[in-house]
Amino acid sequence: MNISIDYHAHNNKLSDYNPQFKILLGILTLIICLISQKPFIPFLISLIMSSIIIFKAHIPWRFYLKFIGAPLGFGVLTLFFMAFFFGTQPLFATSIGDLTIYQDGLNLGLLVFSRMVGSFACLGFLTLTTPLNDIFSQLHKLKVPDIFIELALLMYRSIFIFIDESDRMYHAQQTRLGYNGLKNSYHSLGLLASNLFIKSWFKGEKVHLAMESRCYQGELRSMNKYSSLTLKHVLVLIFFEFSLILGLYLTSGLKLI
Amino acid sequence: MNIIQAIDINYNYPDGTQALKNVNFKVKKGKIVALLGPNGAGKSTLFLHFNGILRPSSGEIKVENQTLDYKKDGLMKVRQKVGIVFQNPDDQLFAPTVVEDVAFGPLNLGLDSEEVDKRVSSALEKVGMAGYENKPPHHLSGGQKKRVAIAGILAMHPDIMVLDEPTSGLDPKGASQILKLLYHLNQEGMTIIISTHDVDLVPLYAEEIFIISDGEIIKQGNSHQVFEDVETIRGANLRLPRIAHLMEILKKEDKLPFSEPYPLTIGEARTRLINYLEEKK
Repeated sequence: MNISIDYHAHNNKLSDYNPQFKILLGILTLIICLISQKPFIPFLISLIMSSIIIFKAHIPWRFYLKFIGAPLGFGVLTLFFMAFFFGTQPLFATSIGDLTIYQDGLNLGLLVFSRMVGSFACLGFLTLTTPLNDIFSQLHKLKVPDIFIELALLMYRSIFIFIDESDRMYHAQQTRLGYNGLKNSYHSLGLLASNLFIKSWFKGEKVHLAMESRCYQGELRSMNKYSSLTLKHVLVLIFFEFSLILGLYLTSGLKLI
Repeated sequence: MNIIQAIDINYNYPDGTQALKNVNFKVKKGKIVALLGPNGAGKSTLFLHFNGILRPSSGEIKVENQTLDYKKDGLMKVRQKVGIVFQNPDDQLFAPTVVEDVAFGPLNLGLDSEEVDKRVSSALEKVGMAGYENKPPHHLSGGQKKRVAIAGILAMHPDIMVLDEPTSGLDPKGASQILKLLYHLNQEGMTIIISTHDVDLVPLYAEEIFIISDGEIIKQGNSHQVFEDVETIRGANLRLPRIAHLMEILKKEDKLPFSEPYPLTIGEARTRLINYLEEKK
């Protein structure tokens, strides 16, 4: 899953689009989603963001469905739970036992559900269209201490080597029936983990040698190449976010149920 | 002029085993030199001495006739001059994108961003990886990773490029692309040192060959001088190039009159065979 998110982040139609704009759009919209008191705007946001992801960035919709599937399922559960157990004003009684759907519970559930879907679409927009290195460079611009960014950067690269290595070991163990039976599986998993630890250690030392060979002095210098926002970007952002806020205001009196 | 020189190098691992024994190694400016040896012979250990990552227990390293200075500034200088390309590109490529990885060395040298940009794009151009700037290394093939690793060294404008097993793990096309690239770099004046155990490829490019076995240089010379001593070659867990082996068998088993030294490359064997057929007519 991680790998395909990374793949799509690097290979979609919006990969090269101004990262600052994407991050601001994603986060501001996310905030609006979270402060919303009615479910209308968050639902609208999830629609807009999902269409950008599918029709603008050309992320395959099957992949997007899988991506959003887990939180969506969790959201539906929450919705049911709240509708049945978090209210005082009964809407109607079901015939199953004495389960009752509550009106205020249902409203609250819908609000939580809509916020969840909306925020996840915003996050999806950010993670699926923005390569991680763009996010790192924006963090640098936001004056996040370099040590955190450097660590994140090295970790990001190592994850893929780590996954490759563990895959290879796992297959080698499977080849020799290492996961045959529960007890055996635990034993093999332990071996895999300890071996991975040792290998990572050695690998880390090698990477350090290679870095030293290229005059590493304990500090990663960056290229300082940040595309900044154009007037058009700023105007689009302001227009979009204010329309949403206006939407919040206009829908604040509406009642769904 | 010897651009790099190892004089009586001894090196012991922390556990006491002697990894290098009285190694003498010298390379003339502008040459392609191969260090040929089986696995575990000490090739990589010797290479790590060339830019001061490892410090010999005794003996000295000279770069451009100056004894290597292990102080911080001296190490910076020598690491700019002597670029090492590691065997496994995954050990070398650590940055999230190709362009950032290639820029790593030049940035460490303290160059301004304009110069860094220029060096990065020309290095990527040279290795044929222009257009991959913003790809993450894990989305590249083995050969592409290797070329990016070479670009990362090229961008530091070294005088000497040291490559540890540059063709290992590559498919035939990838390997020949790397060798062609190295040949071009050499034509432009770069001194190149390659470690390998690929005896078939070595005679094609190396002007001088050193054979290392168990931490000792046991033979040196051009490809014919080195490969004429079949006993030593086999004793070091190496073998003759396939072509030479074929000629040896034709002579010993089939009594064909091919005298030593045996041809080492396809081109040499071809001439020899044509001459033989002409004579027979």
